[in-house]
Amino acid sequence: MDIKTVKYDKIGETLYIYEHKSGLKAFLIPKKGYSKKYATFATHYGSINNEFIVPGEENVTRVPDGIAHFLEHKLFEQKDGSVMDKFSKLGSNPNAYTSFSQTVYLFSCTDKFDENFQLLLNYVQNPYITEESVEKEKGIIGQEIRMYEDDPNWRSFFNLLGAFYKSHPVKIDIAGTIESISQINREILYKCYNTFYHPSNMVICVVGDLEPESVFEQVEKYIEHSESRDEIKRLFPDEISSLNKDYVEQSLAVSTPLFQMGFKDDPKGLSGFETLEREVAVKILLEMIMGKSSALYNELYSQGLINNTFDFDYTIEENYAFSMFGGESPDPVKVRDIISSKIEEFHKTGLNREDYERIRKAVNGKFLRRFNSVENISHLFVSVYFRGVNIFDYLDVYDKMNFEYINEIFSKHFNLSNLALSVVKPA
Amino acid sequence: MSNLLQEETVSKIASFDGIDVYTIKTDKFKTSSINVFFHTNLDRQRVTKNALIPAVLRRGCRRFPTFQEIALHLEELYGATFDCGVTKMGERHIIQFYIEFVSEVFTEEGSKQFDKAFDLIYGIITQPVLEKGAFKDEYVKQEKENLKRLIESRVNDKMQYAVEKCLEETCKDEPYGIYDYGFVSDLRDINAQNLYEQYIAMLETYPVQVYIAGSASDDSVEKAVEKLKSLRPKTGGDFGDLSDKKLSGPSQDSFNKSVTEVRNVVERFSVNQGKLSLGFRTNTRPDSKDYYALLVYNGILGGGVHSKLFQNVREKASLAYYAFSRLEKFKGLMVVSSGIEIGNKDKALEIILQQIAEIKAGNITDYEFESTLKTIETNVKSLRDNQLQIVTHYLGQSIANTNDTFDDLIRKTSQVTKQEVVDVAQKIQLDTIYFLTSKEQA
Repeated sequence: MDIKTVKYDKIGETLYIYEHKSGLKAFLIPKKGYSKKYATFATHYGSINNEFIVPGEENVTRVPDGIAHFLEHKLFEQKDGSVMDKFSKLGSNPNAYTSFSQTVYLFSCTDKFDENFQLLLNYVQNPYITEESVEKEKGIIGQEIRMYEDDPNWRSFFNLLGAFYKSHPVKIDIAGTIESISQINREILYKCYNTFYHPSNMVICVVGDLEPESVFEQVEKYIEHSESRDEIKRLFPDEISSLNKDYVEQSLAVSTPLFQMGFKDDPKGLSGFETLEREVAVKILLEMIMGKSSALYNELYSQGLINNTFDFDYTIEENYAFSMFGGESPDPVKVRDIISSKIEEFHKTGLNREDYERIRKAVNGKFLRRFNSVENISHLFVSVYFRGVNIFDYLDVYDKMNFEYINEIFSKHFNLSNLALSVVKPA
Repeated sequence: MSNLLQEETVSKIASFDGIDVYTIKTDKFKTSSINVFFHTNLDRQRVTKNALIPAVLRRGCRRFPTFQEIALHLEELYGATFDCGVTKMGERHIIQFYIEFVSEVFTEEGSKQFDKAFDLIYGIITQPVLEKGAFKDEYVKQEKENLKRLIESRVNDKMQYAVEKCLEETCKDEPYGIYDYGFVSDLRDINAQNLYEQYIAMLETYPVQVYIAGSASDDSVEKAVEKLKSLRPKTGGDFGDLSDKKLSGPSQDSFNKSVTEVRNVVERFSVNQGKLSLGFRTNTRPDSKDYYALLVYNGILGGGVHSKLFQNVREKASLAYYAFSRLEKFKGLMVVSSGIEIGNKDKALEIILQQIAEIKAGNITDYEFESTLKTIETNVKSLRDNQLQIVTHYLGQSIANTNDTFDDLIRKTSQVTKQEVVDVAQKIQLDTIYFLTSKEQA
């Protein structure tokens, strides 16, 4: 068995890699002394993949919004009942989630890892979908959609994506709408499954106190496909580089207005490693400009314009990227205006090198802390993997990071004509 | 037992002036943490001020007089995290301070991470920025406004709100019915002077627990203990300690409440989805043998995908995306909650009550029972992988007057029989039905 070992002594971690003949790669990050073992089996397929060409076909397939998420729900159903029951008997916690670009199946357990792992590998490879169970699921997912309709944070997030994007499917709610899921049937679900759930489009990541040989032997034994396959053509509409809108608002049952705002970015042409560099740079910049130690944060806070809920993040994938920051505020428009003028000032006066040095150290420490938790490691691993990199590449990114690059990304990303604001107001 | 992983156990290393200091030694994490808990009773008179105290303290201390300077210092400590706030555990109100920082092995030689982190948290707690012998007026005014908004914005998260509000309604006329962050109407009379007075009372008289988790050296911990000896006034204060009978805990008679009539509470918002929550009295104390049977009961009813609520409300009837039950062990409460189509309220209520009746009648399948025991075991073992959860576990043990390690907890639940679950089920009484619904619903 050909197992590759990479040691990262600086942070005391090791990565084991095994490649299956189907093209699937499996990874193990051992965590000595941890009780919990966490395994994920993920496909490079999420809510944005609603238009594609199946390998071997000529025609474009267009599927209803929310189908990747629907399929995630349906995979739990097996010929002999729900696979959840089998995990429950083993006392483990099965789960799954669908993001814009991935569907991730996972379990955590403290005992009987092999049986749990075999179960995970088996059910994800063997769907059993009936018309009846599809109809039943529409009721459950319908309530999931309703729950999100009443969630002001979720709404302000998606409303902002709607302000950024004119046509890119990232603006569509991951679960779709009650209307779009009503069009889903067994046949379309199988078509999506057969297209996106080939091992060559998937990854396995295991984190916990385990031995690589025994984990990878199971991968070898239970992955059913033996041949690699041609690539899937994923189609996306042309997206404008400017904003769709610069302001959107909605009324909901909230006491204080909530807002999200951010800059639309353009990641086209970046390699996987470059997306990591961009991500770390923008996160350092956000800390420098509006983090808790910044003059801007403290000014907004002492004026009562923001509170503890204020937070920020940056998202980057192959064909969309954006920064986002927000929280509760009595006057989101004023917050935007103050942030805008501060950024304008930085464009004129330049950034402070000392701030950069201090924050780089802090951001690096926070990255290290993510290795405390087996679920954090797994989530981060899977979230960057399909960009062609792995989480340990962040270490190189931190080593190479420098003030000149930070300045370059500042001019590129913090362009005020790309700044949009989304507000949720009290009804 | 030899194949079990070594436990993350707690040791009490010092006890003086109503302050107990514990260490939880482990080097499996990249970070270490210091947690400080001030204990008091939940009551209307003090709750809002208690909530405001940490909010004002976090704004600055003598060495770092502004929030910005504290933030800068945290960044220098390799991105350490500091947080504080209040919580309720039963009718105990707890003011908590917490700092987590990268352990020394992962930092440059000689950077005394633990000592610096301890000095910071100790400084924030004990040396606030003062103005005319009281808190700084500007900080108090701003934090009053922030607290007002925090209390008001509870309704933003309807799922959590429906759970908390249901339990508050269940205990409407008891201390537990008080929200941990207090009352907007009580803010008006709070000023820098009277808030400072309550802060001094906190510092001088509230029992304190300090938990140091991670890989700090004995030497550093010893120095920290020395510093803690000056927390209380030199003259010797009237501080209580954790065994104080005046402190709320499960030993009080607030526990057994017989329900004479089920209350119905309806609250209306502009929403698409209804949230149905049911508040129950378990009549079971956390320091009784029955408590372990109650844990299993809760697991069978709504503690996971194998549970009766998940299987029947969601999987069979397709009425909901989520349906669960949860215990509030320190006050003997249980809450059931589910998000449903507003028109389906009666149907959902019927199915939920049916599940409760089933357990009472002894209808528990082997699958439900075995899965519950295993799920509890997994969940308890998993607590050990999270520093904060390890600390919270031991804090909870001290409030419940129990002394269970993780292994004890697993062992005692694994010995519970079906009959014991059925017995405990007989004691559980529905108290309040809370429905969060739309403005249009009749």
